[in-house]
Amino acid sequence: MKKKFKFAYLYMLLLSLIALAACTNSESNTSEQNEENKENNEVVTTEEGKTVISFWHAMSGVGQTSLDSIVADFNASQDKYEVQAEFQGTYEESLTKLRSVGGTKDAPAITQVFEVGTKYMIESGFVEPIQKFIDEDKYDISQLEGNILNYYTVDDELYSMPFNSSTPVMLYNKDAFKAAGLDPEKAPATFSEVIAAAAKLKTDDMKGFSMLTYGWFFEQLVATQGGLYVNEENGRAGDATEATFNGEEGLRVFEFLDTMNKAGTFGNFGTNWDDIRAAFQSGKVAMYMDSSAGVTGIINNAPFEVGVAYIPYSDEAERKGVVIGGASLWMSKGIAEAEQKAAWEFMKYLTTPEVQAKWHLETGYFAINPSAYDEAVVKDAWGKMPQLKVTVDQLQSTEPSIATQGALISVFPESRQQVVTALENLYQGMSPQEALDQAAEGTNRAIEIANKTK
Amino acid sequence: MMVSQTKAKKSVWKRSLDARTALLYLLPSILLFSVFVFYPMFRTIYLSFFLTDQNGNAALFVGLENYTYLLESVAFRNSIKATFLFVLYTVPTGIIIALILALLANEKLKGIGFFRTIYSSTMGISVAASSVIWLFLFHPSIGMFNKLLNIFNLPQVEWLLDPTWALLSVSLSTIWLNTGFSFLILLGGLQNIDEHLYESARIDGASYWYRLRRITIPMLSPTLFFIVTISLINAFQTFGQIDILTKGGPSQSTNLIVYSIYKEAFVNYQFGTASAQAVFLFICILIVTILQFKLGERKVHYQ
Amino acid sequence: MRMLKRSIIYILLIVTSLLMFFPIIYAFMISFMTGGEILQGKFLPSNLSLDNYVKVFDRLPLFNYLINSFVVSIGVMIGQLIVCSLAAYAFVFIPFKGRDFVFFLFISTMMIPWEATMIPNFFTIQKLDWINTYQGMTLPFFALAFGTFLLRQHFKTIPKELHEAAQVAGLNRFTFFFRIVLPVSKTSLVTLGAYGFLTTWNMYLWPLLVTTNKSVRTVQIGLKQLQSQEVSTEWGVVMAGVIVVIIPTLLLLFLGQKQLQKGLTQGALK
Repeated sequence: MKKKFKFAYLYMLLLSLIALAACTNSESNTSEQNEENKENNEVVTTEEGKTVISFWHAMSGVGQTSLDSIVADFNASQDKYEVQAEFQGTYEESLTKLRSVGGTKDAPAITQVFEVGTKYMIESGFVEPIQKFIDEDKYDISQLEGNILNYYTVDDELYSMPFNSSTPVMLYNKDAFKAAGLDPEKAPATFSEVIAAAAKLKTDDMKGFSMLTYGWFFEQLVATQGGLYVNEENGRAGDATEATFNGEEGLRVFEFLDTMNKAGTFGNFGTNWDDIRAAFQSGKVAMYMDSSAGVTGIINNAPFEVGVAYIPYSDEAERKGVVIGGASLWMSKGIAEAEQKAAWEFMKYLTTPEVQAKWHLETGYFAINPSAYDEAVVKDAWGKMPQLKVTVDQLQSTEPSIATQGALISVFPESRQQVVTALENLYQGMSPQEALDQAAEGTNRAIEIANKTK
Repeated sequence: MMVSQTKAKKSVWKRSLDARTALLYLLPSILLFSVFVFYPMFRTIYLSFFLTDQNGNAALFVGLENYTYLLESVAFRNSIKATFLFVLYTVPTGIIIALILALLANEKLKGIGFFRTIYSSTMGISVAASSVIWLFLFHPSIGMFNKLLNIFNLPQVEWLLDPTWALLSVSLSTIWLNTGFSFLILLGGLQNIDEHLYESARIDGASYWYRLRRITIPMLSPTLFFIVTISLINAFQTFGQIDILTKGGPSQSTNLIVYSIYKEAFVNYQFGTASAQAVFLFICILIVTILQFKLGERKVHYQ
Repeated sequence: MRMLKRSIIYILLIVTSLLMFFPIIYAFMISFMTGGEILQGKFLPSNLSLDNYVKVFDRLPLFNYLINSFVVSIGVMIGQLIVCSLAAYAFVFIPFKGRDFVFFLFISTMMIPWEATMIPNFFTIQKLDWINTYQGMTLPFFALAFGTFLLRQHFKTIPKELHEAAQVAGLNRFTFFFRIVLPVSKTSLVTLGAYGFLTTWNMYLWPLLVTTNKSVRTVQIGLKQLQSQEVSTEWGVVMAGVIVVIIPTLLLLFLGQKQLQKGLTQGALK
């Protein structure tokens, strides 16, 4: 009897431990009880009667600091809505979570999703196109940057509100240009010019040119020549069935990189953003491609003068411009109307010139509302760093076309990995065509599966 | 008739007393394992026969196609090779280093507690934190390792960028990270060895190496067996370092199976192939562990 | 001779300690540096400015995260100790049919890659409505094959005679388990406890998945939040975060070393 009692005692202990965990939790949740009673589309409100919505984002580091303060400003600016911004890990991690909770009560009102997730989101069935609110509200969309909207517009409908947007640029070390006898005010513009400059710039310690091993840059170099990434008009006329990036435009890019790699003027600094930046700032490479969002940080930290230029294009093609990168904000379907309203108000607030000016200066991402560039703070900053303007000029001079609108495929993240592997293989000596074909083949298989299981 | 039946029943009931008691003790584990390990594992096996849609649900039955695709895929064969190499690089070296440190720290000297703490310190460091540190050590332009090579006029090494070095570099950081734990377990094992055994050996005038071979290692065998098993299993499942240091590159040279599973599931959302890979990995570890138990536990010496 | 041997051991101890501890010292140094200094690849910061630390605490609710990490880690630790010691006891002291098979079934759970089971588990937690709860973060880890294995290895070294003597003395199973087996196995229990605590402290992906807001999030998520993807990362701040995150666990190891030591020697005395 006694034995049984003791055993029961231990069981009780175990159970009470679980119960304890439950209790401590409910305690800790009182401050954020809103998560819990979302059932039946009940709108969660604060004590003061503000509608509470959650906003999932993937901004870490500086981006998060800036975003948090924008959200705090919004919450203080009015007394109807309360936005709770919550970090959900990297874009991939956050999307994985969204896939699992999409359409349930755990789904947030607003989610930030990276640009390559656009097609997936449209097809997912748990988002409400932003166009609906634009139409209802008669919101003037023309005040926003057309070249950014283009990416997120599918079948003439704007699906999500662009948010953090960036494009690639080429950064170069002006001091190194002087030392090599090159004109520091005139950056090389075409592939062959870059190759020639790289050869002159190369020293024992310094490579001429580098590019982050990341599919996005490859896509840009293809698009700027007017090349398409996949068929069906870059996937915008229908579901793409085949990769086309291994065509002549793509091959030119690979040959461009291969030439420099074979000549020893190309530096490979891997797949990590910070590694290639450190290499540039410590004088290991003279020119490289970076995101416009990284430019401010580089200029501030580099011990030499930094030049910013448009990305190079091939000698056989015209310069068509760049494709937007970054992420946009998506509105959930199936949540209470009041919550959608709150989310829409917040999105509108985000696009105001003042907020965009702050966002642009603190993070380096573009202002999606170009009037932000007329704000005094931005003008001051550009006065100090004229290079920043180059990034905006490049975006605004982009010719709208299917190529620069960007490809629309659901398996984009996978395809990017294929391209990364192709680049790595290229640097290890594989022939440009072979490396590219492998990546295209991998992408084709992924597309095929995606279309099959749709 | 009735009586004998109840008797038989009773005896079965009585005979099963041990089993029932054991069940009582095992019940919490069995319950938790069923919910959080066995159920998802069966789901994984089930999904491995399907292609999944964008939401990760089984969409198209393909039978063994995921498996045949994997076995034919160069990338996956490469992953298997990388995984086995990684295990080979990290497990024996890691245990030998930890053993040496444990032997050193087992000496009775002043201030030995301090050294023990230092040796075990890596146990207190998360994969995420340590990988960030190693990212810096390996950095091609500002990293300490290349600075050191520079001082000695040696050629620079592209630690994480050169396919021939990347796996070694990741192994190095993994060995460092795991040393703390192995050290602590081995030290515990050493301290458990009866002092008298050494005293009598000393009286016999046995040398240090003799004592090591004849007393320490055999007496340590249960602990060694344990740490080898754990290290093997952990090595097969390494993930965090890869995610932060190399993301499986360059040229997929560090694309260990678990990382490949993660990418397939979290980035590509192909649960079918991810599941097939997981099942394959499970079988690999299972075989290695069975071998280890068959060969190892026979040699283990319990007091 | 003795002197010589001693100095050799000391030299070895010091050299190996330096090698082992170098990465941590390096991180500590970087945590004081400015962005420019880091990029120049210096080892020593020019001055000991606490700016980075101020920024870390400014940006994240780090105290909150630390408390959550403690609650979750201690929860898992206690849960594991209870669940695993019960199971290990059954494996060593209760002979029953199919014991080896059940044990192997347990061990086999170690071989299942956690990444493969994570998403189904996430669905389970979501169905139980345990998102953003401590139990969602702790309960799946209570049963641990490794822990059971560790304790089994230790319980096996307990002399059979002790068990027989206990039976003769009329001690029931549970009393034997609670009064004799557990005290004798302090070493392993302490090791398992430390292991459980530290591994839980260091988890990242699972806590991230099952939480959607700050209420129960842990420090490792905070560490990830400090690193940017596309915008330049302030590595000084990240390193300050790394130091803040590893200090509690290192401190625990430093302080626990005595306790661990005691546990270890007691185990040896039997």
